[in-house]
Amino acid sequence: MRISKYLLYVAILIILLTLPFYTGVYLLNVMDIILIYIAMALSWDMLLRSGQISFGVAGLFGVGGYAAVLLNLNTGMNPLICIVMGGLAAGILAWLVGIAVLQLRGMYFAIVTLALAEIFRVIIRNLPDLTGGPEGTILPSAIFAGNSARTYWLAIAVAVVSVIASELFRRTRIHFALTSIRNDEIVAKSSGIDVFKYLVFIFVITSAIQGMTGGAYAHIYGFVSPEGSFSVDFTLLPIAMALLGGMHSTWGPVVGAVVLGVISEFLKLQIPYGHLLVYGLIIVITILFFPQGILGTIGQRLKNRRLRGSP
Amino acid sequence: MPNLSWCWTHRPIVNLLSKLKQRTYQIAIISVILAIILGFWKPHVLVEGIQRACLYAVIALPMALILGIVGIINLAHGEYMMLGAYFAYFLNVYTGMDPLLAIFPALLAFFLIGIVSYKAIIKYVLDAPELNQLLLTFGLAMVIEQLANLFWTSRPIKLPLKYVSASATIGSFTFGTYEFAYIAAAIIVLAGLLLFLKRTSTGQAALAVGQNPRGAKLVGIHVDRTYLFIFSLSIALVGAIGAIFMTRHSIFPLVGAPFTMKSFCLIAMAGIGNLMEILWCSLILGLAENFVLSFRGYAGWADILFFALIVLVIMVRSHQRQVK
Amino acid sequence: MIVLKTENVTRYFGGLMALNRVNMEFRQGEILGIIGPNGAGKTTFINVVAGIYLPTEGKIFFNDQDISGLPAHKRCRLGIGRTFQLVRPLPGLSLLENIMVGSLFGKGLGQREARKKAEELCEFLGLPDITRDISRMTALEIKKMEIAHAMATQPKLLFLDEVMAGLNNDETTQMINLVRKICSRGITIGIVEHVMRVIRELTNRVVVLDWGEIIAEGPYGEVSNDPRVVAAYLGEEN
Repeated sequence: MRISKYLLYVAILIILLTLPFYTGVYLLNVMDIILIYIAMALSWDMLLRSGQISFGVAGLFGVGGYAAVLLNLNTGMNPLICIVMGGLAAGILAWLVGIAVLQLRGMYFAIVTLALAEIFRVIIRNLPDLTGGPEGTILPSAIFAGNSARTYWLAIAVAVVSVIASELFRRTRIHFALTSIRNDEIVAKSSGIDVFKYLVFIFVITSAIQGMTGGAYAHIYGFVSPEGSFSVDFTLLPIAMALLGGMHSTWGPVVGAVVLGVISEFLKLQIPYGHLLVYGLIIVITILFFPQGILGTIGQRLKNRRLRGSP
Repeated sequence: MPNLSWCWTHRPIVNLLSKLKQRTYQIAIISVILAIILGFWKPHVLVEGIQRACLYAVIALPMALILGIVGIINLAHGEYMMLGAYFAYFLNVYTGMDPLLAIFPALLAFFLIGIVSYKAIIKYVLDAPELNQLLLTFGLAMVIEQLANLFWTSRPIKLPLKYVSASATIGSFTFGTYEFAYIAAAIIVLAGLLLFLKRTSTGQAALAVGQNPRGAKLVGIHVDRTYLFIFSLSIALVGAIGAIFMTRHSIFPLVGAPFTMKSFCLIAMAGIGNLMEILWCSLILGLAENFVLSFRGYAGWADILFFALIVLVIMVRSHQRQVK
Repeated sequence: MIVLKTENVTRYFGGLMALNRVNMEFRQGEILGIIGPNGAGKTTFINVVAGIYLPTEGKIFFNDQDISGLPAHKRCRLGIGRTFQLVRPLPGLSLLENIMVGSLFGKGLGQREARKKAEELCEFLGLPDITRDISRMTALEIKKMEIAHAMATQPKLLFLDEVMAGLNNDETTQMINLVRKICSRGITIGIVEHVMRVIRELTNRVVVLDWGEIIAEGPYGEVSNDPRVVAAYLGEEN
């Protein structure tokens, strides 16, 4: 059973990797966005597993984008390294915010993260010499000179990193720690878990992934701006995707990202202005009716059928 | 063995009471000192700061009501205010009603909207973990914002009202007088809420529910009806405040969002359940913001002051909690 | 040898004094009973010793080390374990994995060793079916799982907080033998109970709390006849 599962994964991976050889630029661009959102939805979910919500995904995303672009412009470093540096910058910021704020959790933490995107946007807008101010900064050329195959493989790399991170979080002791903290912090503490340290750690790692993703996005599209890079899209969509697909899992956010990514392409063509509304509605509807998302509900139905089947 | 425990129980209680009193007084004293300093140094900042502070306070108070009694945080709070503002605008456009008068229909309309919101949506997450409440109200906020964007576009609109630019002069110092409406509103709402909560039976029942829902139920208080009433009251107030806000500011779909965050910041500073302290904390925030705004080059930084404040508050609180 | 000593431990919650100058000693290898009417502060005492709350006044010494300011997870790693009255098993994790949380973090074992330790504890406590679905366990099994979880952190001092509640006579006998088995491993035990039979059969000494204070101490026979203790419990019935 396990071997065939791995073979399936390998087959899918091969198909994905060789996509540029038999599809056109449009599909590759759509895939780029979906892969980016996979990374974002996964990283948001990883923090959710500890019981904390971050509404600041867009903030860390934008910071990573700016860091990656500015570093490249000012030092000429290889864009790939700059993207990783973008992740590092976001991670460091998350560490600073985390150690200040994660002693009080729940809604205090959530609302602080809600303000993050706005804060970073204001700071960047007010340092025009460094950041290009309200109009943003343009890169002389997108990464790989806009070669869509290479760009696509970059996006795959980013998504793969987040999938690996998510699986690591599920298979190592981190999974036990997260589940325990989420369930009951006092019991977790009494089991020897240093709750604060774990929460800061998870916040930093997931923020670093979001920053790295932001860096990749910035280099793929070749520009950053206070409005564009910190757009509420980058917070709203990952949340809707993770909730829709099924939280607390690796494949849930992936499924959610694919489904919503495809839908959003259609929506953008049909309703140019209202598509964000759909994501908000998805969040409201899933919380009210399907808190476990697509995968969770399917999993529950299968479990019920199995239980009913056994005498 | 003689039982000396009673004297240990008494002294610390007395100590703690005076400590509590001190904290309220501490915040009040800080804000008054700031006010006096500013009064001499930059009187504009003082007057405008107080006016702004009262605007923040009057928006934060309804959110504090929901948080303290119903126990959930309404991330869509600012969006209801935005809806109130648009309500007053369209009422003016179609009937010519003055927005200040629109407060009264707004109170009614938004009370009904609150009832609908509660019954259709909020009720279902009251028992759910806090995460679900946060996500749900976040989604709700997004939906309201986007609907507003869809119907009314993001173009800012404003009503040209003559009384809004009224001003007075004291000595060489001129200031706008219309904004004192905010101060009036803050005092009315605060006093009204305090009187309601402490003097009326409905209000006292609400306080009981806020402190101990199960106990309140045992005593025969209808908990769900209390939640419904308080939630709808809060939405009604925010909607009405939106009408007042409309008179002085240009409105657009995203206008309410920053107020959600700032209201929460104030509630965090004041402590959940302390309505009076919200006024003092708003004073600190309002004065500080206006102070930063008065420096030409740094105006843009005023917007993140509340963020610095809330981080500070959280750090101090968690340190206190650790020591305790 | 004194495993744990509390010196004048006092704990306030706002204006309410939950613990008042509590001085307790736990001797190596003993089973110390902690009894008292509801609200006397028994669970608060465990919470203060385990580090969930810091004492407002007073000190706590564990093996002669002052742990009064240590956070809960560090105290767990030093060797203080406890069970919880209200057990909420981790969803999505199996019975074995629930117990593994204790061995993974209480002593920092690797996953394989942690799993082995958890399996060994299951056998020791009489939980043979480790593939059990958590949602279908009996009350006794859940309590055993909770004890296994606490023991997985390899405590030197273990607090059992009302583990006998809700068990019938046979199950109580089983549990009493289990506790004796645990003690025979060299673990010092503090047992909080309302079921007096358990206290009578298991403990060497008993401490009685009322309104956060110790009102009596000694072997069960003495303490149960002490008029102050009787008054405290009778007062509760009023």
